[in-house]
Amino acid sequence: MSSHREAPSILKDPLADNTDTYAFVTPNNTVTIVTNYVPVQAPAGGPNFYEFGDDVTYQINIDNNGDGKADVTYQFRFENKITNPNTFLYNTGPIDSLTSANWNRRQTYSVTRITRQGASLLAKGLACPPCNVGPRSTPNYSGLADEAIYTMPRGERVFAGQRADAFFVDLGSVFDLGTLRPFQNLHLIPTAAADGRDSLARANVHTIAIEIPIPRATQRDDVPRDPMKQSATIGVWGAAYRQKATLRDRSGRASFAGPWMQVSRLGNPLFNEVIVPMARKDEWNAVRPHQDSSFAKFVAQPELAKLLPVLYPGVFPNLKALTKDRADLLAVLLTGIPAGLIPGFQNFTGRTQADMLRLNLAIPPSATPNRLGLLGGDLAGFPNGRRLTDDVVTIELRAVAGATYPLVDPTFTPDDAVSAVEDGTFNNPGRQLLDRFPYMGLPYSGYDVP
Amino acid sequence: MEPVTRRSFLVTGSVGAAGAATAFGTGWALSAANDNEAALSQDEIDDLNGPLVVQLTNAAAGELEVLVGEREVTFTDKALAARLLRAAKS
Repeated sequence: MSSHREAPSILKDPLADNTDTYAFVTPNNTVTIVTNYVPVQAPAGGPNFYEFGDDVTYQINIDNNGDGKADVTYQFRFENKITNPNTFLYNTGPIDSLTSANWNRRQTYSVTRITRQGASLLAKGLACPPCNVGPRSTPNYSGLADEAIYTMPRGERVFAGQRADAFFVDLGSVFDLGTLRPFQNLHLIPTAAADGRDSLARANVHTIAIEIPIPRATQRDDVPRDPMKQSATIGVWGAAYRQKATLRDRSGRASFAGPWMQVSRLGNPLFNEVIVPMARKDEWNAVRPHQDSSFAKFVAQPELAKLLPVLYPGVFPNLKALTKDRADLLAVLLTGIPAGLIPGFQNFTGRTQADMLRLNLAIPPSATPNRLGLLGGDLAGFPNGRRLTDDVVTIELRAVAGATYPLVDPTFTPDDAVSAVEDGTFNNPGRQLLDRFPYMGLPYSGYDVP
Repeated sequence: MEPVTRRSFLVTGSVGAAGAATAFGTGWALSAANDNEAALSQDEIDDLNGPLVVQLTNAAAGELEVLVGEREVTFTDKALAARLLRAAKS
């Protein structure tokens, strides 16, 4: 998965588990950033339905000067409230508004913007929508969800609540010894070819989404117009933090003490999942992006690139012969792509190696998005930021298999199979992505998806 | 950017041992004979409206870390470290 339960420690802490981060340019000189948490939700999981952690600090971090450190941070903190202490139910009747007396367990949150000049509370008491329980409990779910979109005084719009997971991947196949279903007949242990199966097709997540006026995210408080200027690119990552100590009393209550410690983060999809060895995944979640140079060797010599020729004998001969460090992947994942490699494009942020989702804000949204992003010739797609529809599994599989190596060595010819490598799970219509903020589709209801 | 309230207060030298010891509560049988610090004021006591956790991070060097609110304070106090260790064995 992109980053769902991707490390030994965070898999035990789903409320703080950052599953995906998206960043893309949106209309009216805005950039939208989406970070998702609480992975692989079974929609019918009541009566204690899913929620954010009121003991977790969530942040959307933006680096706008290339040092891998946050220059602009949006911080989200949640509070829980039980309306009726005498029932075990999530709701005691239909929830027809965010103030419904029938809704027993609800969350509100605050938004704080932090820069080097200080912290500014933008809003507090904002309501999350309820989880999508079913037609009797949440009869007008889209109305409830729309009610939970807020515009703040300086122009940011926010939403926090349950949504259908936009990520798609064939987990059952890829973790069965690297099987790629479209051509598993070529696997070392062959089986009949079959279509991919999306393991997250009916799962929900909890989304924190923010639409930011671009001048509120850039170093120069401007809207970049020249894509070839380094200052046009920002680096984005989501992260979650817990306090250093947790204590429990004999009544079951927990209390906390100490500074906030990073327990999860996510910039580029799949970085911790398939690049970082299991023994260092927890460490990766704890350190900051500007400290990522110690993980660069796993990018330069990715394990997956060595596995593919073994798992698919004779299919990747050129990849097998490629033993040099992968300067292409180092650029894509850790520094951004410098000017001169792709005509009219760069998203280079400097020499600091940091896993961030780099977005060139001067590249306008594509009128006809290509799910393969840059690999498909679409400069507005991953790894220039990441849209909800970008097929990042296929893009990264192909990149690791050698598709991007000609950018740094034009004499290298990718294997013929590279263009056929697919995850095979693209475009599940059930997600019903929106064409407006917050873009993530409405969550699956528990009644419909048991 | 760290969470806004996160501050690393690195304090070298000794911080009032009585404050750290008192915050453990009455369940700790620390020797009062060694408690030569001034008594806490009511304001200081009232300021503590959550748990205070002390971690002995280096027993040999007497390095301690106090977690309180959203802060951590580190300091060195070999005598206090010794008293804590001995109390833990009592």
